[in-house]
Amino acid sequence: MNVTITVNGEVRSASVPPETTLLVLLREHFLLTGAKTGCDVGDCGACTVIVDGKAVNACLMLAGQADGRTVTTIEGLATREGLHPLQKVFEETGALQCGFCGPGVIMSSKALLDEIPNPTTAEIRNALAGNLCRCTGYQKMIEGVHEAAEMLQSTTTPATLATKTPATPALAALPQR
Amino acid sequence: MKRRGRGIASMWYPVGFTVAANPSGAVVKVNEDGTAVVLTGTVETGQGALGVLSQIAAEALGIAPNDIHIVSGDTDTCPMDTGAIASRTTYITGNAIAAAAAEARDTLFEVASQMLGVKTSQLEAKDHKIQVKGFPARSAPIADVALRAHLVNGTPPIGSASWNPPTVPLDPETGQGKPFGTYVYATQIAEIDVDDETGEVEVLRVTASHDCGTAINPMLVEGQIEGGVFMGLGFALQEEILFDKQGRQLNPNLTNYIMPTTLDMPVVESDIVDSYDETGPFGAKAVGEPSLVPTAAAITNAIYDAVGVRITALPATAERVLAAIKAKRAMEQKQIPA
Amino acid sequence: MADDVMERDVSVLEKERVAPVETLRRSDEALRLPAVAPPTALPLEPPLVPQVGEQTRAVGLRAQRPDSRNHGLGLTRYIDDIALPGMLFAKIKRAGVASARIVRIDTSKAEAMPGVKAVLVGSEIPVNSFGPSLQDQPLLAAPIVRHAGDGVAAVAAVTEQIAEAAIDAIEVEYEPLPGVYDAIEALKPDSHKVHGGDTNVYASKIIKRGDVEKGFAQAYRIYEGRYYTPGIEHAPMEPFTSIADWDANGRLTVYASIGRITLARCDMSRTLGIPISRIRVIGTVVGGNFGGKNEIRHEPVLALLAKKAGRPVKGRFTRVEEFVASTIRHAFTMDYKTGVTKDGRLIARQVRMVLDGGAYCSFSETTLGKACILSTGPYEIPNSLAEGYVVYTNKTTAGSMRGFGAPQVCFAYESQMDEIARDLGIDPIEIRVRNMFREGSISSTGQVLHSVKVKESLENAVKKFGWEARS
Repeated sequence: MNVTITVNGEVRSASVPPETTLLVLLREHFLLTGAKTGCDVGDCGACTVIVDGKAVNACLMLAGQADGRTVTTIEGLATREGLHPLQKVFEETGALQCGFCGPGVIMSSKALLDEIPNPTTAEIRNALAGNLCRCTGYQKMIEGVHEAAEMLQSTTTPATLATKTPATPALAALPQR
Repeated sequence: MKRRGRGIASMWYPVGFTVAANPSGAVVKVNEDGTAVVLTGTVETGQGALGVLSQIAAEALGIAPNDIHIVSGDTDTCPMDTGAIASRTTYITGNAIAAAAAEARDTLFEVASQMLGVKTSQLEAKDHKIQVKGFPARSAPIADVALRAHLVNGTPPIGSASWNPPTVPLDPETGQGKPFGTYVYATQIAEIDVDDETGEVEVLRVTASHDCGTAINPMLVEGQIEGGVFMGLGFALQEEILFDKQGRQLNPNLTNYIMPTTLDMPVVESDIVDSYDETGPFGAKAVGEPSLVPTAAAITNAIYDAVGVRITALPATAERVLAAIKAKRAMEQKQIPA
Repeated sequence: MADDVMERDVSVLEKERVAPVETLRRSDEALRLPAVAPPTALPLEPPLVPQVGEQTRAVGLRAQRPDSRNHGLGLTRYIDDIALPGMLFAKIKRAGVASARIVRIDTSKAEAMPGVKAVLVGSEIPVNSFGPSLQDQPLLAAPIVRHAGDGVAAVAAVTEQIAEAAIDAIEVEYEPLPGVYDAIEALKPDSHKVHGGDTNVYASKIIKRGDVEKGFAQAYRIYEGRYYTPGIEHAPMEPFTSIADWDANGRLTVYASIGRITLARCDMSRTLGIPISRIRVIGTVVGGNFGGKNEIRHEPVLALLAKKAGRPVKGRFTRVEEFVASTIRHAFTMDYKTGVTKDGRLIARQVRMVLDGGAYCSFSETTLGKACILSTGPYEIPNSLAEGYVVYTNKTTAGSMRGFGAPQVCFAYESQMDEIARDLGIDPIEIRVRNMFREGSISSTGQVLHSVKVKESLENAVKKFGWEARS
């Protein structure tokens, strides 16, 4: 079957077998490998992408179901002007470790911030409950979403964010040898 | 009703393999402009090892971590490394890289000693310069020294080294010996609520204080601690592979094998103990594995504190905690005289 | 109308054809994004590049990870994001029975399936065994199956679906064997012996210091308890995946999501019977390890399939395989007996532990050794005796996992510590301080300890938590 979707602002088509999932369409046909295959049955959230504004597990949606819709993947978040605040905060604070869950976590967070610009901690926890991470304990992610929300509200363009000076690095006191 | 409890647990944990040799090799090459490339056979498995190792190399060369590029994870190009196991990367691979960087730095010192007219023993590498100790104004930019080493002296600054922690084999009958180079220590305290009608345990916060020697990168240490508490919480309350009577797993999927989500995780308050181990690179030891070790006991001790039941078999699921609470009540009722 | 269809089809074909190039180019641009920006605009710069005259202090910086930009952009190339030209997909047929002898394997139906390029069984593997300390684990069971996750045959096909269908088409006839599914049962003389011989115990350890009997005789009170911890799955988000690729000179390149490439190369050389110089192992960015990606799993099988097919072969574990065919954390049964003085000093501790090793050794010896050494806890106990055994059972192989036995024994010794403190009416902080290692303390193995910071960690935690003594 033929599938045509708008991915990251670009109209793309492919001819795929009907059982093809959106995840396989993205990864294998469009070579957008940001969304990951963690469990392939909707448990882990590593394949999260945004379809018509909603975060979905791409492994649970058939390519055919996405036909005619608008899909945003992790690759569609940054622009040449700069990173999305979520990406920026996550990289500065080490919110991702192995990073495999990262694209999914960031897309779930993005969908949340698009809907609720200033979420509470409970709302963030709820929004990320479907994204499993085995490395981080989620703490820096949750803090990062708060921080990104603030950045999105206080500034308008990512370009201005890029020049914001990070906090003074803390130096660990070293005993003299 | 919900009952609050607190529990504490301490631990010790060794760095590296038990007696068995577990060496790391490293090569450090200083480029013509004073930046450097490090070759290591370890692999980044998510801890941020390559960041930590670049900070170690940078410290040894007096340049910034950003000036270091690490080549890793390729048996054709990288020297032997025992790998990302046993919390050994910072301590052992780090020591190898620090030693290799020092060797490369010695070449820079030889070149700089001619440029600055002092003995090599009077030099130090700092702030992108090779400078005279105590007289930082008398210096040469590391880029100039490196270029001179490559193109004038014909001695490209390349260092290679390997390191293996010194151990003494264990006596087979008594187990006495020195199995590890060093150990790290930690204490965690958990605060929890137990619902005494359902047995459900909610972990509210975990304070985790860890000794890792010098924290090469405190942000990454915190990341390891937070992730360790997460894994410890799963071990304490949720995770268990179930087998049927024929030895087949009953829950081999993430639907039925339950691990903590954002909804289960408490606030983790991490603390890094002021510490310096003279056997580690710039005083560093380890933090990877140890961060999960004391969590389960801290939580089950808090369960006892809250509802007076001792969980001796993990995980402390709501069913198990409730069964223990019921058994305790039954026992108490029996003891009341008729 | 017909023209429309024609046009549409052509445009679709056109798009498909150009898609890879287009995507790659775009990815490249995104990748170049940080590099083309002037260095001053990079978020990395202020923390990482010290100002002239400022003390260089790379150590101690909260420096950004070198990989975090790629992580956040979704550009980190994990192994599953790598595809080689002509690459086939492998699937391994799992036994599904825990203890059996393979009587017959018929692969003919699978071999006849269109799209199937190679089929492999255990008897074709040059050296069909591996393991970090004991080489007791087959790559594909032949002929004895020792746990349900054992592989029995493998297929490489042009798509994952065809490979999946092909392993279903492989017929295996099993003769059921008795099994043992409990570590304590496995210790009994009449239990089924997983690897033959007269015992299932394949490693034991004793750590002995002082005289425990004398210590118990002097004790004011003695506490005894049994503690149990279950098998745990590493559950990294990235499933175990590898690619094997031969060049025309017979040199093998293996891409693997593995934390120990040096060991992997040795294991490849041993199992395939080719010199180490003919093998290159590339460890791709590992999407979570926790001890579960410390040794090879299926790489030699993929290499042999690739050799047969003459094409690169990728194998990716399903989430179910990640549970049943990788290793797990050892389940521990621990008996703790501790003698204390009236003021709460630990003067004798005896520990016996039995580890469920599952079907093969893997990192069991190391896990057992660390667990025995650490079983005293961070406390100076003059008389201690730890004895540990690890036994084979017909269950999932237990191997290395974050902590190597330490989380298990810590659960036991700290639970018992809490019990002792409550029984003696001593504050749990105080009882720990009284017993804790200090600088220069002697460990359970007689090692003189340095840079001991356990008391400091306790004090810091107590302060940060706001722990107040209760009357």
